[in-house]
This record gives sequence, structure tokens and C-alpha cells, in this order.
Amino acid sequence: MTEPILDAADGGLRLRVGDFEGPLDLLLHLCRTNEIDLAALPVRTITDQYLVHLEAIEFQNLELAGAYLVMAATLIYLKSKLLVPPDPNAAEELDEEALALKAELEERLREYARVKTQGVWLAQREAEQLLIWGRPGSTLPPLEDVPLEDLSVHWLERSMKRLIEEQQRMRPRQVEANPPSVLERMTEILSLLRDTWSLLFSSMVGGERKRSEVVVSLLAVLELCRQGKIRTQQTELFGDIIIEARTADPVLESAENPENAVTAETAATAAATTVATTAPTRNEPWGPNPDNPTSASAGGV
Amino acid sequence: MPNPIDVVEALLFASDVPLEPERIREVLDLENGAAARELVVELMARYEAEPRGLSIVEVGGGYRMVTRPELAPWLVRLARARSRVRLSRPALESLAIIAYKQPVSKPELDAVRGVNSDAVIENLLERRLIRIAGRKEAPGRPFLYETTREFMVAFGLRDLNDLPKIEGELVIPQLVADGATAAEAHGEAETQQDPGAGGADVPPRG
Repeated sequence: MTEPILDAADGGLRLRVGDFEGPLDLLLHLCRTNEIDLAALPVRTITDQYLVHLEAIEFQNLELAGAYLVMAATLIYLKSKLLVPPDPNAAEELDEEALALKAELEERLREYARVKTQGVWLAQREAEQLLIWGRPGSTLPPLEDVPLEDLSVHWLERSMKRLIEEQQRMRPRQVEANPPSVLERMTEILSLLRDTWSLLFSSMVGGERKRSEVVVSLLAVLELCRQGKIRTQQTELFGDIIIEARTADPVLESAENPENAVTAETAATAAATTVATTAPTRNEPWGPNPDNPTSASAGGV
Repeated sequence: MPNPIDVVEALLFASDVPLEPERIREVLDLENGAAARELVVELMARYEAEPRGLSIVEVGGGYRMVTRPELAPWLVRLARARSRVRLSRPALESLAIIAYKQPVSKPELDAVRGVNSDAVIENLLERRLIRIAGRKEAPGRPFLYETTREFMVAFGLRDLNDLPKIEGELVIPQLVADGATAAEAHGEAETQQDPGAGGADVPPRG
């Protein structure tokens, strides 16, 4: 019977708000664990224990914390009445007030205890009823007149909310500008390279550095590399990529080719892109054999 | 001309809501509700006389054909579900307050529970166990709530008088730690709910 919760005074146990449904639940729990008669509430003991528990509870909900604090304030108020020696003149009225407050608290506790019992009774009934099944839906044609008895304002409100939400969804949305396409970016790079000697990758991406833009620019650069229209250099790891137009001079090209320091990473991606573009053709069983260029061109013609 | 009892049986089978005696009277063109009741009572007796899979219960102001509780394990298997959704403790306690005090407003509910009941009320409304009965002529004109027929069906009550009287019938466990009581109730329910290891394999009839 003695709950380990009483150890909270020693800091042995932390309580969660979820353990109790509210201040009355906690108070009732204290009364029961201490075998206290609800009609004669010992204010001193119960206040001290309540406050100890209150300190142990970790609140996440401000409103719930407020409910607990109101109860704490009531209890402390009652306790303060006990401690102050009654003044012969003014005490009478105050004591009555305190007594009334205490009686109210006791009544609330008794009522809450009743409600808890009723809740348990309902839970038992619910459990019994969950064992039986009725017909969930009839195949009879629906009634001609809608029965109005079971409709409520709540359902009307629901329908209204749903309608409003639907309206909201039909409103025009903010349209985003077209994402840049790889082809456009490739043309852009080539036209820029007509006027300048070299180009920095970072200068192409733009100030916003949007992810999609970076991806498209990189793909464009890789594709141009593959087509042999540009040459790229990256002098250090994760450094900027220098893009240069590729001259038609084959001698220069072959001489510079080994120095063409595309990082392993970029090269790998380029390879992946190449595979991705060619793969579908290879997988087509009825398609031209890619290993045999003659048959491929024959098929094409 | 078919036997009126057979007609009643068919009506109960076809209906998805509890069938009031008045409705049976209307359909069968009987003289009064008492005659309809008699027919149902006779049918109920027939159902009780021999072992069957179905029974007829009086609930929510009418009659309903339902499966027998002892067959629950097989039905749970049919539904491929371990258990059915149950109400939380706060929901049950709030429902108890509403059932006994109806119509009741949220401030009154909050006062008894000592905490805010917004979420619980929303849940109960959603499950159609309570409905708005109007507004209270009090500051703020709060909504008044009352229980519905679904509430009576869900808890197997013929009418609100089936609720145990506050004094007397319901023993309030004054000195029992509440946790234990709740645990007992829930534990019991869960064992009933569980089809059990071999339970569903046992043939219903020998």
C-alpha cells in the first residue's frame, strides 16, 4: 500500500505530471496513501506533502502548472490560518472564511473521489461492451429524412472549418521561377567563354548559392567537359574550379591533358552521369548492340 | 403470413442502431409499444433457451442484436486486431461527470476535475459520446454538454437510470490507493480482451 512516491521527500523519485490528472488527483492520492479521512483534512501534513510533490513534478504545460499552483496557494493559505494565533477581535470572521474554504476543499475532494469511482465503473462497462459486436452498418437504404436528433453544433462547426480549409487550399499559390536547366546553363557558359579566357565556377553560381543552381551548374560543366568543349582545373581540394574554353589545337590539348586536374570526385560524378545516360540503351534487349557501332548505325538508318 | 417474431428478428438483424419498441410497432402495425416489447421479450427468451452465437440486448432505449461476449476472441481474430480503442482515464472521468450532471458546462467540468478539460471534451465530441445541448445562461454563455445515444450503446446502458446511484450502489473505495483500483479494472479488461494463447483454437462447440 505504501507507495514509493512518499520517498519523493528524500529526492528518491521524480514525478511526472502524467502520473496525476491534476491537483485534486494528487491531493486525493496523498489522502489515500496516508489513510486520511476526506471529511477531516489535516491541513499541516497535507500541505507539506503537497508542496514536496509539487517541487518534484516537472511541468511542461504552463496552464496545468497554474492549476497545481492555485491548489498550493489554497493549501498554504489554510495553513497560514492555523499558524497565526487567533486575534480575539478579528479572528472570528477569518476563521469562518478559512473553515468554509477547508469545507469546500473537502467537498471537492469527496466529489472528485466519487468521479474517479464512476470513471472506474465506466471503464469496466466499456471493457464488457468491447466484447460484443453489433452490426456496424446496415445495408438498408438510408432514411428519407435525416434524423436531426444526433446532430450537434460541433459537427456543424467541423463542416464549416473543413469548407474554409478547402477554400484556403484553392487560393493561388506563390509560383516559383523556373529552375535553371542544364542545357541553358551550358549555353551560358559557352557564351561567357567566348569573351573571356577563363571562368570561376563560384562566379557562375551566383550570390544566392541555391542548391539547385549549384547542382545544375556542376552538371553543365561536367557535360561540357565530356563533350570536350571546356577544360576544368581545380588546384586544391574543395577549391574553386577554373573553367577554360578548349582550343581546337590538338597538340596543346594532348600536352596539357595529364595536368587536367579534375578531382577524383568530379571525375566520378562525370562517369556516373555518362553511365546514367547510356545505361537505358544498353538495357534495352531489342535495342541496337552498343558494342557493335556498325549495327547501331545500321539500326539508326 | 410470417410469424411476427421472425419479422422482429429480421428487423433487429438489419438495423445498425438500437431499435425502439415504437419503431417495431410502427413497422409491424401493432396496437401499442407493449405488444412490440412482448414480441422482443419472446424472441430474447428464444435466444437464451439454446446456445447461440448471437443475443439480443436492450440498450440506448432500444433493442440490438449483438454477438455473445464469450465469442470475442474469435471476432478479434477475424478483425485481425489485438484490442479495440479504449478511453483514457481523464476521458472516462469527464464522461462520468457529464453523465451524472448533464447538461453541464465546461467551467463546471473543470471545477470538479481541477484541470482544464478542453482536449478531453474535443475527444468526446469527436467520438460522439457527448454533444452540445445548448448554452448556459451564465457569464460567457458556455456550451452545455450531454451524453448521446452512442454513449449508452458504448457502455451498454438501457437508459441513464442504469448508471449506478451515487450513494449506495457504487462503493467508493475510500482508503484504497486509486492506482490499484484502476490497475485492477484495466488488467481484468485486458485479460478478457486477449484471445489468449490457445483460446481461439478451442472449437466453440464440442
